[in-house]
Amino acid sequence: MNPRSLRFRLVAWYAGLLTAVFLLFGLAMFQVLRQYLERSMADSLRRRSEQIAASLLANVRQSGESYVADEIKARYAPENYDRFIRVSRAGGTVLYASGRTASFDPAGLPVPLLADATRQVSCADGARLLITAQSYAPPAGGHYLIECGGPMQPVETMLAQWRNSFLLGFPLVLLVAVAGGYFLVGRALGPVVEMARSAERITLQNLDERLPLTHTGDEIEQLSIALNHMIVRWREAFDQNRRFLADASHELRTPLAALRGEMESVVEQARALPEWRDRVGSALEEVDRLAKIVETLFAISRLDAGEAQQVWTKFDLARLASNTAEQMSLLAEDKGVSVSCLAAAEVQVEGDQARIKQVVVNLLDNAIKYTPGGGAISLQVQARGGKAVLEVADTGIGIPASALPHVFERFFRVDKARSREAGGAGLGLAIVKSICLAHGGKVEVESVESRGSRFRVELPLAASTNGG
Amino acid sequence: MRCLVIEDERKVADFVARGLRAERFAVDVAYDGQAGWELASVYDYDLIILDLMLPGVGGTEILRRLRRARKEAPVLILTARDSTEQKVENFEAGADDYLTKPFAFAELLVRAKALLRRAPASRGSVLRVGDLELDRLSQQVRRAGKKIDLTSKEYALLEYLASHAGRVLSRTMIIEHVWDQSFEGLTNIVDVYVRHLRAKVDDAHPHKLIHTVRGAGYCVSDEQDKA
Repeated sequence: MNPRSLRFRLVAWYAGLLTAVFLLFGLAMFQVLRQYLERSMADSLRRRSEQIAASLLANVRQSGESYVADEIKARYAPENYDRFIRVSRAGGTVLYASGRTASFDPAGLPVPLLADATRQVSCADGARLLITAQSYAPPAGGHYLIECGGPMQPVETMLAQWRNSFLLGFPLVLLVAVAGGYFLVGRALGPVVEMARSAERITLQNLDERLPLTHTGDEIEQLSIALNHMIVRWREAFDQNRRFLADASHELRTPLAALRGEMESVVEQARALPEWRDRVGSALEEVDRLAKIVETLFAISRLDAGEAQQVWTKFDLARLASNTAEQMSLLAEDKGVSVSCLAAAEVQVEGDQARIKQVVVNLLDNAIKYTPGGGAISLQVQARGGKAVLEVADTGIGIPASALPHVFERFFRVDKARSREAGGAGLGLAIVKSICLAHGGKVEVESVESRGSRFRVELPLAASTNGG
Repeated sequence: MRCLVIEDERKVADFVARGLRAERFAVDVAYDGQAGWELASVYDYDLIILDLMLPGVGGTEILRRLRRARKEAPVLILTARDSTEQKVENFEAGADDYLTKPFAFAELLVRAKALLRRAPASRGSVLRVGDLELDRLSQQVRRAGKKIDLTSKEYALLEYLASHAGRVLSRTMIIEHVWDQSFEGLTNIVDVYVRHLRAKVDDAHPHKLIHTVRGAGYCVSDEQDKA
């Protein structure tokens, strides 16, 4: 799981917040519960004190103190019922005090100085008691302090039980909440993942494709609509560019034809002065170059418009490559560059054979141009990973790293002086790229300056020989 | 030979007409579709050179009308757009050949002559230019009686140049004829082959046969003023 994904982060935040809220809530509940239990215990103790005061102490003059003590013992049996009762006189002397019970021993508990208070004390044996103290003055005179108490243990047991069930239940609740959250966030983000996947597929060749719409009415639907509008605008801009290129090529060709025709008639006239013929010939060379640039631009715009599929056939790329290398061997020989061709097995691809051949010609021509005498060029064709792979590697001057990302751009030259001398117009690799893209393939380059370059073309294998 | 040029670009129409007249054609020129259609429907031409983008009646429409009217003159289309669909459409409408602007006049002439020849001309088995001899059957080449060894590409190049002796052939034409279109535009393959051919054919002789016409192309000729 990617810890930086939106899904993970949302769920982690959610779980953290849930834990914090739950713990705070639990703590508050615990306090409220404790207070409630202590208060209700104190209330019942206080009621007992009042009972003792009203029914026994009120008549202490008539009945005598020992009667009161006996009555308390008889009526409340504190030792049996796990209670603590003590009645003391104003001076601090004890009239009655209950004894040891099953769970605690109150012997030695000091008599409090303050009346009308509730307190918790620890007995000598460690048991904790909650004790209420109430002063009482009988109508006949005198002053007494009545203390009633009971062990805290049942309250504490109850609180402990509550806390334990909370601590046990919380992880379960958290687990359910996190799993549910993970699922819900996944559902909500599913369309985004799908959109990213389709966006990845959209290239200049399939600008007609659109991102899937979710129809959920939420922000993600808005996003997909906005992105689709962007693709439409992008497509329009691209179409405009393409139309412009096509129109420009067309408008340029007619005057070029006139220019060429007029100049040729001068050059071929036997009567013309040699100096004139040379000058017009030189101008004619430039007309030629211009015409070739226009033609290549037009070809690129047509390829980019997806017009390549009209003359597709199935053919052996390995044989095409070795034949082309053979046809160009004289060019290499002329420069003292050796060309080795490694294309043994048949590699069937489907496409416009003349265009694919142009790819091989342009790559080889480039390699020959930029490899000094004594260098070596290797051409390799093979089926690899379900693709037809053609590689042209040379030991030439290479391409500087800063220029590498641009070599397939139209009119890009690594070194202006160098390539013009070699006769390039900066369109050779641009058309290679357009051809590869139009065939559903791609072209890549790696290069080390002054060590050499390696161009790799990948094309889909023809259907019947897939994997071969 | 009577020829009609229908082309709205006056300069293009004029140099085509001038070039054809120099080759002893009788040439009529129409500068728009309507005038072109009227001429073509009245007279029987041996060849019609037709531009596609015309004001008034378009080139493809003229072609259709001609074929419907059973005018069977060969039609060479000139165009500034060369999409494959358009080519197919025009061939279906009855075009005989297709030339994309800007073209070399020599190429137009070669294609025009090919269309007019129709039935293959009796091509002699031996081609002669000055003291150079090419035997088309055995593919043997001799200069002043001495045998010259050529590779098959060198032979194809020399035969193409020699069979149009005295005519300047552009690099584009040579590439399309001897190699194929894939080599067009980028390589100096023609220059390299011509250099090798010169070394074998001309170097040993003071009288040169292979000439470079700057800006236009190459030419095999016995005349010296072509150089």
